[in-house]
Amino acid sequence: MPLDDDDNPSLAPPPTTTTTTTNTKTPSSLPPNTTGAAQTTADDLTAEDMIEDEGAAAQDFRAFAASLSSSQQYRKTPGVSAQTIRKGEKDFEAHGTRAQADALEQSRAAMRDVLGYTRVHAAAAAAGGSKAGNIAKERKPFGWVRERVVVLEGSSVASQALGRAVTGQAKDRPARGRDWLLPEEALYLVERGSLDLWWPMKGLEEIFPPDGTAAVVKGEAEEEVDEYDLGIPLSLQAAYALLIGNDGERGKISLQKFQVYSNLKRCGYNVLRAPPAAKQTTSPLPTPPPTTLWQWFTSLLTSSPAPKPYGPLVQPGLYRSYASIYQQLALLPRHIPSPTPTTPTVTSTTDPFTVHFHIWKAAQKWTKLRHPPPDFQLAVVDAQDSSVPTFTEIMPLLAGMPADPGKAEWTGPGRMYARLKHGYRNVLLAVVDHGVINYMRFAEGRFGGEEVYGRFDAVAKAKGGKGGGGWKKGGGGTMDVGAEDAAAAAAVGAWQGEGR
Amino acid sequence: MAAETSAAAERQVRISRVAGRYLVFDIDDVVYIRRHHGICAVLTGTMPQNPTQNLFLSLPVELRAEEAKLLVDKGVGHIADEQTDHLSQLGTMDESTRRAYLQHLRQQRRNAQQVFEEEKAKVQAKHLDKRKAKPKAAAAERPAAVTDSADSLFSTPSPSTTPGPSKQEKEAPLPGVTPTTSTSLLSPSPSTSLSMPTPASYALYRYLNARGYYTTPGLRFGGDYSVYPGDPFRYHAHYLANGYGWDEPVAMLDLVTSGRLGTAVKKGFLFGAEKPKPREEGGEGEVRVFCIEWAGM
Repeated sequence: MPLDDDDNPSLAPPPTTTTTTTNTKTPSSLPPNTTGAAQTTADDLTAEDMIEDEGAAAQDFRAFAASLSSSQQYRKTPGVSAQTIRKGEKDFEAHGTRAQADALEQSRAAMRDVLGYTRVHAAAAAAGGSKAGNIAKERKPFGWVRERVVVLEGSSVASQALGRAVTGQAKDRPARGRDWLLPEEALYLVERGSLDLWWPMKGLEEIFPPDGTAAVVKGEAEEEVDEYDLGIPLSLQAAYALLIGNDGERGKISLQKFQVYSNLKRCGYNVLRAPPAAKQTTSPLPTPPPTTLWQWFTSLLTSSPAPKPYGPLVQPGLYRSYASIYQQLALLPRHIPSPTPTTPTVTSTTDPFTVHFHIWKAAQKWTKLRHPPPDFQLAVVDAQDSSVPTFTEIMPLLAGMPADPGKAEWTGPGRMYARLKHGYRNVLLAVVDHGVINYMRFAEGRFGGEEVYGRFDAVAKAKGGKGGGGWKKGGGGTMDVGAEDAAAAAAVGAWQGEGR
Repeated sequence: MAAETSAAAERQVRISRVAGRYLVFDIDDVVYIRRHHGICAVLTGTMPQNPTQNLFLSLPVELRAEEAKLLVDKGVGHIADEQTDHLSQLGTMDESTRRAYLQHLRQQRRNAQQVFEEEKAKVQAKHLDKRKAKPKAAAAERPAAVTDSADSLFSTPSPSTTPGPSKQEKEAPLPGVTPTTSTSLLSPSPSTSLSMPTPASYALYRYLNARGYYTTPGLRFGGDYSVYPGDPFRYHAHYLANGYGWDEPVAMLDLVTSGRLGTAVKKGFLFGAEKPKPREEGGEGEVRVFCIEWAGM
């Protein structure tokens, strides 16, 4: 791996650490454990710098070409650090000098050199893969078995994180026990130069004999003639043609989704296709805990402050705390997110706003079969074909997310804004505009769960204990609220909450 | 230079349509449209030389529909449906085309092999030089055994002893190659281009392109395009641009938001529309553009 994970934290934060949008044309590969450091580095840049840094447009291939020591067609030199690739200096406009023309010419030539590279596989190390047609019926619900079209020949490093062997097949089936790749996995490996994709010229039975004991003999060195007997190698262009398709086409993936997938993989995340939505919705919703008898009694005793249809908003009387006043003022129902989705009726998500990928931060222990719940869930949206999701589009999407109220240490009044900013559930949207990807995070606001007025009483008590003050200072004690003063009292309370 | 331009004159860019998207795979095509037609588009592929970064990306280039349409209208490009082309070619491949394709592939593999071997020879020569230099320095004492064992530990596993050359003579297996394009597999493409619909705001795009402006997708700044005064390799974007219909009402709020955003990132907000022409005249209509900057009074 030429680039170490900690190579270039300063380019942009990963989608995790940002609040709303991240311009992710430029993020580097960031491991989760250096995220904090990366965040601080990114914070050093002003927002304007981040925006002005136009990502891919700012790339200077000259630097990249220089870092690849001899940029020949078949030769790649590992060990390039992204730190050596600096953003090239740019001009405001053409001033007609030769220096400027030369610089542009060099950039173009460098791009030509760098992109003219042809993927070469060392004879022994290459993982072969054949694109094959049909495989077994779907047996495992989470495996996307019907979508897998590329069978991996032999095992490689890639198969630790990608692919899936179809289990439970009859013994006489061809290619039994082999790893099958999803189209995005296969195409990503081809692009990386890690996979040699072949088009089979014979049936699956001949290429991978069902016996399993008979090793696949690929006479590379011995019989040069028969080398292409079983199939022919495909080009990158052919791989795109055969693996990229419209949504819903079997064994294909849309270009936007593939771009997001490979972008995340390049960042170092572990990405898997999300299991089909039907699976999620059928899971029975846990019933809310029943009210105990004691709760029912107490609810009888403390009569609920249902407002009367007439009269003043705050009933005249003697009030010893702000809380009882605010409770009477709360007329509008608030949405308080709960671990169980409160709207079980809307569970079906509509297409662009469906979870497409599950994402994990890079971790040592992660395997393709055994992994914790995903760190992020992501939907891929095309910038041209869709607009900002409506309530009916985003709510089912959010309802399908696990509850994520934020870090454990975010408790107490001091971290209220962190909690509010984080939200209760969240989902990522990747907006793709012809190869340019923006990640956005949508979170369910939890304003209903934050009672600000609960703190006023504590303040009042503390001040009252000191023996201070009257009404104007916001001190405590007893308040005699007349009907006409109720609004004023509320206003003072609110003002205190702000000003503290 | 002159030869290059004359060769470029009759170049036909193959625009691959894959699932409704327009891609260009040939690096020469990419360079050509960038230089001669002001289209830089977006590189989207993983860079095989350095696949764990997102800063420098590789082929293919994804064109916007406007850019593909412009190339077709100019007569320098044609649109090919990659899936049908590939499937028909792979499905009904006769022996001669297959042989030709494999021959081409084998040639590439040989070339690669040659490059590898040259490189290897260079490295070996370097090591030999080092090795020659060393014994001279330590000639007096000749701690032969020690240096030998140290070298075999730390140098590349190709000491100057006999096995190296003999192994090469035994015909090392050729490396596998994944070509970037399918040019040698597909029959020379027909000049007839598949039809494509005219995308919205094509008129504005063509107007800007004809005046030497380069555009990239405007997602970063919330517009249709980012507009550069020249090749984005050298210049910063000057505008973020939106196309509208001639009679389409433009919301005041859009002007304010885009205008403010543009000013905040030191760009102007440019918007334009094409004046509809009477049908019989045809051709290009007049395009009017306006630029908005936040006055900041």
